[in-house]
Amino acid sequence: MDVVRDVLDQSVIDRNGREMGRVDGILIEQQPNQPVHLTAVLIGPAALGDRLHPAVGRAVRRIEKSFGVDENRPARVAFADIDEIETKIRLRLTISETAVAAVEQRLRSWLLRLPGSR
Amino acid sequence: MRKLFNLALGIVTSIGGFVEVGSISTSVQAGAEFGFSLLWAVAAATIFLTTLAEMAGRVAAVSKRSMAAAVRERFGFHFQVVPLGAEFIIDTLLLTAELGGAAIAVKMLTGIGFQWWVFPLGVVAWLVLWFGNFTVIEDGVGLLGIVTLSFVVAAWRLHPDVGPIARGFVPSIPHHDLTRYAFLVVSIVGATVSPYLLNFYASGAIQEKWTQQDLWINRLTAWCGMGFGSVVAMGCLVTAAIVFGPQHLKVDTYEQAAQMFVPVYGRWAVTLFALSLGIGCFGAAVEIALNAGYVLGQAFGWTWGIDKKRRDVSRFVTAFSVVLLLGAGIATIGLDPLRVTLISVALTVVIMPLVVLPFLVLMNEEEYVGTHTSGPLGNALLATLTLLGALMALVVIPLEIFGG
Repeated sequence: MDVVRDVLDQSVIDRNGREMGRVDGILIEQQPNQPVHLTAVLIGPAALGDRLHPAVGRAVRRIEKSFGVDENRPARVAFADIDEIETKIRLRLTISETAVAAVEQRLRSWLLRLPGSR
Repeated sequence: MRKLFNLALGIVTSIGGFVEVGSISTSVQAGAEFGFSLLWAVAAATIFLTTLAEMAGRVAAVSKRSMAAAVRERFGFHFQVVPLGAEFIIDTLLLTAELGGAAIAVKMLTGIGFQWWVFPLGVVAWLVLWFGNFTVIEDGVGLLGIVTLSFVVAAWRLHPDVGPIARGFVPSIPHHDLTRYAFLVVSIVGATVSPYLLNFYASGAIQEKWTQQDLWINRLTAWCGMGFGSVVAMGCLVTAAIVFGPQHLKVDTYEQAAQMFVPVYGRWAVTLFALSLGIGCFGAAVEIALNAGYVLGQAFGWTWGIDKKRRDVSRFVTAFSVVLLLGAGIATIGLDPLRVTLISVALTVVIMPLVVLPFLVLMNEEEYVGTHTSGPLGNALLATLTLLGALMALVVIPLEIFGG
């Protein structure tokens, strides 16, 4: 498997097939005399920002903090929680078991207050 | 039977959705200043648009991915951030121009200044997106857009000579104002080949769940819908050429442009022009805002779709709402809508290589189009035209802005 080609930037769906986001970053680990080991994937705009420039990542974190949705973000999904890697990456978790849900829940709570919300 | 009905609907809505602020303003100016001699540019731009739209539809039908999703997955975020950012800026400008155009149309009907209408129209556009579903938005907007056929009727009723019109389809070098001519060629291409149209088309195909069996529907919808759609733009150009051409008028405002309907429609001229302009622009504003939601949703992997419950797609809904707010906000400042239009359509041509070239790469990969790849000759031609267009735009835009 080529981590950059097959994992990074690919679509992530939860156990129920719900689109959660994309793999915005990956965490790899290397012990002495051991091959490189993929430990987790990161999902969230802060990870994406970090890839462009650390300052962009910091700016995104500040925005998330000002809305109070910065806890445990960007969401970190352990490699063990990945069910399969096909054209999409399916997790063993549901979206609400990850920090991805924080932004969506906040936005939803606002939208539900609007007239005619469904 | 149902497929045939959908096909017919797809074609009719493409015709109705073709004309908006960009194509009306560039066609009117081209006709008024250069007679029929820029008809070839409209035809060439349409072939260019249709080829790209057919490709976008093909990728969507085979791989179930839109352009935005495919580019992120194939080239990564580092690459995508540049075209995504450029497209976002141009689409916001274009949204500003469409809302401005629609507001001017309402002003023509009511006599009340256009700045007062921009924000209310933005709110109405948002309400359409908030309450509407795929059928209402995609088909309703397209069907209402049939009123723009009044451009074709006007051209028809002015009984133009066939000879000069036919000669207009052959590219020629003008005897005067070469820079302006080149600028209008660039603007016509930019107004026709809007990136938002391509992604919007592909997103529609995904929501209608096209498969490889629907590739013929894709081909027919793209070629017939957009092909006939361009006839509306040509009707606009021909009418402007016949009415304004003899006076060598440079059309600077939409109010002036409305006068081109007077010889045909008499006292209904302004009403009919305002309806065509207003519906064309308003429909495009709705589509551009919706497409911004699509693009962001697809690029970042959110759940998206206009038929889904709004609470299930809150990031997508927020995205199109914010873009609409942004467009309406800028439009309210009171920038001249016609000027914003011309600048945004010309800039579209500058960023075109960023949109088209990665797309051509995808069109040759099995993962995205299966066995339905594009031929090398067509690819080379599209790539060359895109790059030439961008170079030409880079030369003529400064000349037009600072030279005039």
